[in-house]
Amino acid sequence: MDILIYGTINSIALALMALGFALVYGISRVPNFAHGALYVITGFITWTLLRTLGLNYLLSIILAIIAIGVVGALIYQFVLIRVRGMATSEIIASYAIGLAILEGLRWGGFKGTTYTLPVFIEGSINIGDIPVDLHRILVVGIGVAIITFLWLFTHYTRVGLALRGMAQDERAALMLGIDSDIMAVVAMALGAMLAGLAGIVLLPLGNIVVEKGYDVLIQAIAVCIVGGLGSWMGAVMAAFLIGFAQILTTVYLGTHFQMVVALLAIILTLIIRPSGLFGQQKELEERV
Amino acid sequence: MKARNLTVLAILLAAALVILPGSKALAEKPIILGCPLSTAFLYGWDAERGIKLAVEEINAKGGVNVGGEKRPFKVEVIDTRDLEPGVPVSEALMAVEKLILEKKADFILGGPVRSEAALAAMSLLSKYKKVSILSTGVLTPKYHALVAKQYDKYKYCFRIHGEAVQLVGEMFANFTELKEKYGFNNLFIIAQDVSHARGAAKVMNKVALKKGWNVTGVEIYPTGASDFSMGLLKAKKSKTDIINIWMDMPESSILLKQWYDMKIPALPFGSTLAAAEQPGFWKATEGKGEYTLCNVVNAGNAPSNATPWTMKFYNAYTKKWNVEPEGLGSSSSYMAVYVLKDAIERAGTLNSDKVISALEKTDIMGVYGRLRFNPKSHQVIPSSDPKEGAVGTILQWQAGKRIVVFPKSIAMGEIKLPPWMKK
Repeated sequence: MDILIYGTINSIALALMALGFALVYGISRVPNFAHGALYVITGFITWTLLRTLGLNYLLSIILAIIAIGVVGALIYQFVLIRVRGMATSEIIASYAIGLAILEGLRWGGFKGTTYTLPVFIEGSINIGDIPVDLHRILVVGIGVAIITFLWLFTHYTRVGLALRGMAQDERAALMLGIDSDIMAVVAMALGAMLAGLAGIVLLPLGNIVVEKGYDVLIQAIAVCIVGGLGSWMGAVMAAFLIGFAQILTTVYLGTHFQMVVALLAIILTLIIRPSGLFGQQKELEERV
Repeated sequence: MKARNLTVLAILLAAALVILPGSKALAEKPIILGCPLSTAFLYGWDAERGIKLAVEEINAKGGVNVGGEKRPFKVEVIDTRDLEPGVPVSEALMAVEKLILEKKADFILGGPVRSEAALAAMSLLSKYKKVSILSTGVLTPKYHALVAKQYDKYKYCFRIHGEAVQLVGEMFANFTELKEKYGFNNLFIIAQDVSHARGAAKVMNKVALKKGWNVTGVEIYPTGASDFSMGLLKAKKSKTDIINIWMDMPESSILLKQWYDMKIPALPFGSTLAAAEQPGFWKATEGKGEYTLCNVVNAGNAPSNATPWTMKFYNAYTKKWNVEPEGLGSSSSYMAVYVLKDAIERAGTLNSDKVISALEKTDIMGVYGRLRFNPKSHQVIPSSDPKEGAVGTILQWQAGKRIVVFPKSIAMGEIKLPPWMKK
């Protein structure tokens, strides 16, 4: 029972961390290595609005998410657009931006363990005889809601359909009048907002620390590689696979092996099925 | 006009007479203190503040008397990042070497902070014959054991704060009391996957079994782990009374929040529990850290009246840095500077061998008791009585305050249990 409960929570948390990365890559084919930094900086923006400026919590969250969406769009418009299509340069440029954000935060004094956000709901309940705090249950609810929203958005809205069109075949989408650059900016903004939302939902469970940015990036990459780069549903499936594997490892092998799971998953996927579970990068397998 | 000129001249002369004696020391070649510290983490920034406060006080009083010549201290800090996950030990070694070769440090003070890095740096200190006083973070007993084992090679290395074996002893003194008072008998150990914590967990396990405790589990978490639910559930299922935590990573506050949210009926009793040491912990956890106990290694890192100097230091630190001393490394780093000053003045030179000899004869009443080094291992001599040696400090969070509960000689309160543990 405890494995089922905490495995689900862990999996949804991983899915939340990875969705933004998967979305940006799926549409613009840009691997956004600043993803972890966007996750962390949203936490700090919310903290500043809430604790320093004294704004209402909900208002702080909304403003932080809007702000991070704008930051994401600006990163694409002013930096990534210039290197689009050059995979190595995209990785270097986005990683450099992430590094600058994270180390800039550290340099600016955002260090230590005292930066925290309040949980959305206080208290805990027992499921069977397993205690679970209400915020973690809410994480599952929000995760499911975001995945559902993304599915509906990409299937029933004009922008969403355009994004899917881009993801499936950029040239065909261009022929149908979809501006690929604008869609890439939208995807990057949306990806940044998803990273920020994940931060706002998950950071109240602990504290906002710069180092989390690197950890989130690794987890997101692991999920996306296992799920298949470019596949959102693959990312969700992979999150469950890795999430439960981590919990099972903790229970049966020892907690100190927990961090190895994500990295091992990357290695095994690249050896056995380089395109991942639902990947569209078939050429990778052909090359291997 | 003439009278006015004379007045100005007299004022300038008087000012010069007041300023000159102090500024003479400042004009002399400074003694450079190289401080390799992980400045983004508590044990790093706390040590840096302690060192800078002491240096400021000493320089304000004219500096250090080196064979009749007054010389000021100058602090050079390099961020070793050795407390950060994934940063290799070589980074810290480069920092130490840079301090010695580029910054021309006369002495190394403070770190490296992570045990692995400090152990690796011992050979460097020996190579460059640089006297070092560790004052924060490093708890591994291997450090002073190595000095004792290969004295000629490692005689340059001193440590002025407590170490893991001492901490284990202090913990068990409290566990025994809790056993007698509440009938506790089950102990669950959670440690971070780093040298000092793994070592301490091993020692705790061994000693607990010897003392008749039932060790219900040992969980080692990698640095950066952020979910502790399964470990806590194991502790709950095994009817644990005390969860002994050895963890200096910031994520330890997640563990404590989870402990509170899950209402685990076991008392969290930590050591090097950096998150819980800080005064900001209460606000950061919105009170969920209440009842957490942690060992802050030496007195002065939390308010107490261990010696007349304790609160004097505590208040001076608070005044200068606008925050109270936050945890391990504050009082010991502050005292490291004073102890070094005392040794240099007695040696009358900066010569390493002579300063080592003087340090071995150190005997001063400091912020956390009588400070003396074991002449063979260069470890500060601990005691539960501040008149006899360096005293430790265990605090508990009670109603938003850090209350010192151990040792009894300096305690300001008693250990309390959370309401969901009361039988």
